Amino acid sequence: MAEVKTKGEVIVNRAAIVAVMLALVVMLTPILWITATAFKPRNLATTVPPTVMFEPTLSPFAKLFTKRSQLREPVEQEVYDAAPWWEQLVFDGGEQVVRNKKTGEATPSGFGGRYLNSLIVSIVSTVLAVSMGTITAYGFSRFRVPGEQDWLFFILSTRMLPPIVVAIPMFLMYRAVGLYDTHIGLIILYTAFNLSFAVWIMKGFIDEIPREYEEAALVDGYTRLQAFFKIVLPEALTGIAATAVFCFITAWNEYAFALMMTSRNAQTAPPYIPSQVGSGLSDWTVIASGTFLFLLPVAIFTFLLRNHLLRGMSFGAIRK
Amino acid sequence: MARIELRNIQKFFGAVQVLKDVNLTIEDGEFVVMLGQSGCGKTTTLRAIAGLETVSTGTISIDGREVQDLRAADRDIAFVFQSFSLYPHMTVQENIAFPLRAVGMSQSSRDAAVKEVAKVLEIERFLHRKPSALSGGDMQRVAIGRALVRRPKALLMDEPIGALDAKLREQMRAEIKRLHISRNSTSVYVTHDQIEAMSLADRIVVMHAGLLQQVGTPEEVYNRPANLFVAQFVGSPVMNVAEVAPQSDGLSFGSGAVLPVAPGLVSHLPAERALRLGIRPEAVVLSESGAAGLLESRISNIEPLGSHEIVDVVLGSTTLRARTEPGRLRTGAPVWVGIDTERAHFFDADSGMALRRIA
Repeated sequence: MAEVKTKGEVIVNRAAIVAVMLALVVMLTPILWITATAFKPRNLATTVPPTVMFEPTLSPFAKLFTKRSQLREPVEQEVYDAAPWWEQLVFDGGEQVVRNKKTGEATPSGFGGRYLNSLIVSIVSTVLAVSMGTITAYGFSRFRVPGEQDWLFFILSTRMLPPIVVAIPMFLMYRAVGLYDTHIGLIILYTAFNLSFAVWIMKGFIDEIPREYEEAALVDGYTRLQAFFKIVLPEALTGIAATAVFCFITAWNEYAFALMMTSRNAQTAPPYIPSQVGSGLSDWTVIASGTFLFLLPVAIFTFLLRNHLLRGMSFGAIRK
Repeated sequence: MARIELRNIQKFFGAVQVLKDVNLTIEDGEFVVMLGQSGCGKTTTLRAIAGLETVSTGTISIDGREVQDLRAADRDIAFVFQSFSLYPHMTVQENIAFPLRAVGMSQSSRDAAVKEVAKVLEIERFLHRKPSALSGGDMQRVAIGRALVRRPKALLMDEPIGALDAKLREQMRAEIKRLHISRNSTSVYVTHDQIEAMSLADRIVVMHAGLLQQVGTPEEVYNRPANLFVAQFVGSPVMNVAEVAPQSDGLSFGSGAVLPVAPGLVSHLPAERALRLGIRPEAVVLSESGAAGLLESRISNIEPLGSHEIVDVVLGSTTLRARTEPGRLRTGAPVWVGIDTERAHFFDADSGMALRRIA
């Protein structure tokens, strides 16, 4: 639609664009900084003033995934040439890979496993929270549940205190029932965190779907369950996508419980990255490369669902 | 096609009784319109037939089989919603084919059935669009197509054209009528619009407060209203209702205004009960000169409506509205008023029931 704008509106419009650009600079600078550092040689990571132009290297990533020690003296050319590409990258970074004395194999660092743990725990807990939340929300939205308001308030109330308050009792419970340092333990925890959120958000979305769609499906010869899968779910996709992104981010970023409830087997990436800061001389390029990899899944996930998210976040604002 | 029977239907929402003993038989191939204000129970009755609402007591049978405990899916009935309720994520083709997929019909027979219905409704060129890309009228055509495609036993419509604008409504009304005549499907149609009811119905069911007020042909409902509610609900402009008292020489309208009428009209009226006269505006006679059976009055207001005028005349303590040809009368001019006694209705003021001459 062609709109005629007054001069005042044009000025407001331009001012808004400038403000958004400023906000973007503020928010994106740290991400740019981390990304740049992740590809820098170690000696350029902490220069003053910061090095802007440099030849990018994958050395920090190779170091991130391996256990290594400082090089006492420069590595001999023969050894360097004989090494696989990733070991050469570690040499480039001024360090050497620690090898098993008996088998001679390189020892991986903890990062890969923890990254995998993060993926498993976040994906499974997101799938659980969103599917359970959607079904629960559908029930509250469509049926007369005795004490509905009280139940909904109860569900919401689980988010009214900071989760860390219950950390110590949870820790004791988990240790007693054998859930300490297990994937399933973290999955249950994160699903429980996200479930109340998922129920409330999904209820909003499902309330927006007219009941007549399902009623039409019922008279068209379908059962209620079929109507739910064929009509309600496709219609709620936008809401499901938005809820999934938020649940995934919450589970992916969670730090405190991951630190307390896990140690070796099930620990996720968030507690690992800061643990590298404190161990001896901090190698900021390795920390930055870990952070960079940690950013990726959320960025990809959000990017894939961006169309749904845009509609999802403005839900309720659109007149039907 | 089918015969639908409702027997002693009652429905409670919590403590509120919305249907009070509804009894109704809809014959095979009949077009029945349920007419009433919002909240009168007409939509609840329709939804109960469809199986979208349970009934508290009573039986619903379709072709002799009791269905009140069956799921909507098992009643073989189609429903058209006021909001159209087209599935937004499906194309028109998929929408119309959706009921056929429920019964596991093959792809090729589905396509053929959709094509046939689309042809009848003239929506063939939209088949691959999403509903959101259609106009209101076309959306409703698709909704009707989805309802008709599997040849249901009956077609239920809940204010199907209520959401359209006036011009389109008129057009769709004619189309629904044409469709009914060509398909001869048993149809139940809910509306609050009496013009829709009068123009579409084989029989009109007037509902009020959960009760059937009158069931009859449009002609019966208009010309022989069973009670004051029906009398005032059907017809535009609204039927005049005046407090009257029969006297030996005519009908008293209060304040000494007595309209002389033939003794035969009033002699059968019970003198001891409060009465109401009901007279449609077109049955109020206006004349520029006095004559037998007329009473002098004055015009308080004239509403010109193009094809006719509505003239308000003061008669005793009431005002009657009369329908006349345009330009005949002026405000303030003397006028003589009478009533077409053949079209006069009398009602018991307390019960609201029509009093009929037994003869």
